[in-house]
Amino acid sequence: MKTLFTILSLFVFLAGFAQTKISGKVIDGKGKAVPGTNVFLLDTYDGTSSDADGSFQFSTAEVGKKMLVATFVGYKDFQQEITLGNKVIEVSITLEETINELEAVTITAGSFTAGDASRRTVLKAVDIATTAGATADISGALNTLPGTQKVGETGRLFVRGGDSNETRTFIDGMVVLDAYSTSAPNTPSRGRFLPFMFKGTSFSTGGYSAEYGQALSSALVLESKDKAESTRTDIGILSVGGDVAHTQAWDRGSVAAKIQYTNIRPYFGFIGQEIDWKTPPASMEGVGVFRQQVGKDGLFKFYGNFNHSNFSLYNHSINDFNVKYLYELTNNYGYLNGFYENVLNEKWNVRGGLSYTSIQNDAWVESDNIQETEKGIHAKTVFEGSLSDKIELKTGAEIIQRSYTQNFDLRTGSDYALGFDELIASGFAEADVYTSNKFVTRVGARLEYNNLIHKVSVDPRISLAYKTGASSQVSLAYGKFRQSAKNDLVRVNHHLASEQAEHFILNYQLVENDRTFRIETFYKRYNHLVKYGNGNPLELNNAGEGYAKGVELFWRDNRSIKNADYWVSYSYLDTERDYLNFPHKAIPTFASAHNFSFVYKHFVQRMKSQLGFTYSYTTGRPYNDPNMERFNGGKTPYYSDLSMNIAYLPKPYLIFYFSCTNLLGRDNIFGYEYSPIPDAAGVYNSRAIRQAAPRFVFVGIFITLSKNKSVNQLPSL
Amino acid sequence: MKTLNIIPILIGALLLLVHSLLANDERYMEAMQKNIQAVYTASSMEDLQNSVNTLERIAAAEKTKWEPYYYASFGYIMMANREQEGGKKDIYLDQAIAAIEKAKAINANESEIVALEGFAHMIRVTVDPATRGPQYAGLAMQTFGKASTLNPENPRALALLAQMQYGTAKFFGSPTTEACGTLITALEKFDTYKSENPLSPQWGREMALGLKKECN
Repeated sequence: MKTLFTILSLFVFLAGFAQTKISGKVIDGKGKAVPGTNVFLLDTYDGTSSDADGSFQFSTAEVGKKMLVATFVGYKDFQQEITLGNKVIEVSITLEETINELEAVTITAGSFTAGDASRRTVLKAVDIATTAGATADISGALNTLPGTQKVGETGRLFVRGGDSNETRTFIDGMVVLDAYSTSAPNTPSRGRFLPFMFKGTSFSTGGYSAEYGQALSSALVLESKDKAESTRTDIGILSVGGDVAHTQAWDRGSVAAKIQYTNIRPYFGFIGQEIDWKTPPASMEGVGVFRQQVGKDGLFKFYGNFNHSNFSLYNHSINDFNVKYLYELTNNYGYLNGFYENVLNEKWNVRGGLSYTSIQNDAWVESDNIQETEKGIHAKTVFEGSLSDKIELKTGAEIIQRSYTQNFDLRTGSDYALGFDELIASGFAEADVYTSNKFVTRVGARLEYNNLIHKVSVDPRISLAYKTGASSQVSLAYGKFRQSAKNDLVRVNHHLASEQAEHFILNYQLVENDRTFRIETFYKRYNHLVKYGNGNPLELNNAGEGYAKGVELFWRDNRSIKNADYWVSYSYLDTERDYLNFPHKAIPTFASAHNFSFVYKHFVQRMKSQLGFTYSYTTGRPYNDPNMERFNGGKTPYYSDLSMNIAYLPKPYLIFYFSCTNLLGRDNIFGYEYSPIPDAAGVYNSRAIRQAAPRFVFVGIFITLSKNKSVNQLPSL
Repeated sequence: MKTLNIIPILIGALLLLVHSLLANDERYMEAMQKNIQAVYTASSMEDLQNSVNTLERIAAAEKTKWEPYYYASFGYIMMANREQEGGKKDIYLDQAIAAIEKAKAINANESEIVALEGFAHMIRVTVDPATRGPQYAGLAMQTFGKASTLNPENPRALALLAQMQYGTAKFFGSPTTEACGTLITALEKFDTYKSENPLSPQWGREMALGLKKECN
């Protein structure tokens, strides 16, 4: 036993002797100490946290070769093999930064992102929905951001000197061929998609990613929500109609359906209108949404939207009010979008989709019938992944096939039809190279083949961003963009080349303590714009060109005033173009030099209400007066509008909503229409293009029925 | 010389082996109890970081125990709670969730882990209530519900649910009767619930008593 005891005590003695002391200092790439770093031996308890000056020290009884590890959030794990046995080991540890979402610089030139996923976005998803004057219309809310022009009679987005068709909408990466509801001429249309559907919005005013194409000015990229969180029924009773929606949620998926009926007639009965309606607009809409999580990380989304709308009105002759023409329009719209995404492996994701759009417009002008049909299919696949921890790559391919026909059924004269089929096949690749968390370069290219004109094109896109301080950065973007000419032009000449634009953008942004400051300047060069040869609309060519340049400012403050959030945006635009029927380069009628918006939102706890105001001001827009020598020589008076909205929540599941545009009652004039024939004195008479009504008042009651009584529709208002 | 009797040596070696295994278990228990106390009583961010680091080391070394990940996550949530700056709060909550995911991978149906996940979602709301409220408040309540389903006796799931219900009622100006009712049940469970696990969480009673003052 004595031998045993000796052996045992020898073990203990030896064990005691074999303590190794490990010490050193932890610093980052710049030599700064990193306190709180976890320094330890892999698979043991032995370790410690580094001190305020980065130094650390701990003892271990382990022997042999062990892995020394150092970890701290925001840095790559440090690993070094050490051999234990000596009494003291000194290790100096330098931690390498990871490219992490919160610290990394982002490319901001020409883009506004709203969403909760990225925490440093300038706008939140709920902002799109709660801006006064927007009445839950996405374009309406985006119109308060810099880079947009207020063209009130259309309700569409005009970006930086570009026409409204130069902005394209994408849902989950899939193109939406007609993002606006149909409207009577000179009356505003609304977006077809409601803000509540989306978890993220990325609105670019130029220089957008190589993933998107066929948009000369801007891409509005909407990301639909994933699985709904709870089962609920939503009822909306509105001054212009009503809707009912039901969402059923289960563990890994959800399905939702919504029916909406809108009829403006009762509303028009109360409030006088400028337009002589025969049948005010009415529409019936059905929406279905299905989401299902597949496998471990996959997601399948399906969205369907059907809309039937109809209206008729009398167009009065400018020269003689008693002469009037009946105009009637019926629109049937269908949109189906299927989307799939999944994780392929640790480094790569795949996503893809298939969408189908069908648009049918049936118009009557007195006894002449014009039927317009557009059908489109879009198929797309994108692979996204990391080539290394500093390089991210995105690459994909897509096909967009469109068929357009227009049938003219005329009372006098022969019937005829025009149309075309266009197939565009494209591929793109884009890489984000992070030199560090402070500097990123994005390089991409987009290849397109258009079978109508048998042309292959390659367009480059480059942008970079540099972090100048902890919360500020500078960003630069350049890109070439192309877009097929509008349908009504291509149907006349199938061989029209794509219109092109080149963007140069420079931006500085500072986001700190819930305040954002942003200044951006841009230069756009347009060429191959479609022009009427010899002033003849049936003789089209691509000889047109133009430019747009300007400066924009944006200031947002979420903190100075308690419970309040406001932003101010100002855009200066200098643009001229020579296109369509222009005799030479001139300022287009949709462009105003100065655009100013002020948006204010306040949550009043005591009144359980959210109050919002929006004030918009723009300088006059040009219009063409045939009585004047100079083309587009007229200038409208300035535009000024103050709108407000109130959302009152007496109970968590009940919301009363009221909004009113143009509180000051200003008679805003957007332009002038001129009679095509001069009167007896040789003067062309005119009529002002005004707002459809002095004010638009909207009242709504929103009820949400669900097991969780605190769920309501506020986020979607 | 007498030949070395092999049997005592073998027994000795065996004893040494068993001793070291028991010592490992003992070492684990000792280290855990020390660090659990540390996260409960930590008075500074530095102290919390130290305890969290130690718990992460234990978790990585043990590999099959969910408790070290659980308490590391609890520590991160405490750090998120103390942190004033929104962006940094989110970083701590991200780490809390990462630790919870690792704990769930080891034991998917443990009510305490799920209740802690709900707690992380609850703190997530405080970063930006207006934006985060709609999404995370609902998620938190759902998660607490799930934790109660896994173990109806879990007082922490009920106490946290009561906190959430109370906060929502105050925000909308609704009556707090439901919240206070949940709270009374929670306090009862704090008295009656006894877990078999010596390392089971013990926290939460003080938080519940604090809320009780608001109820009466």
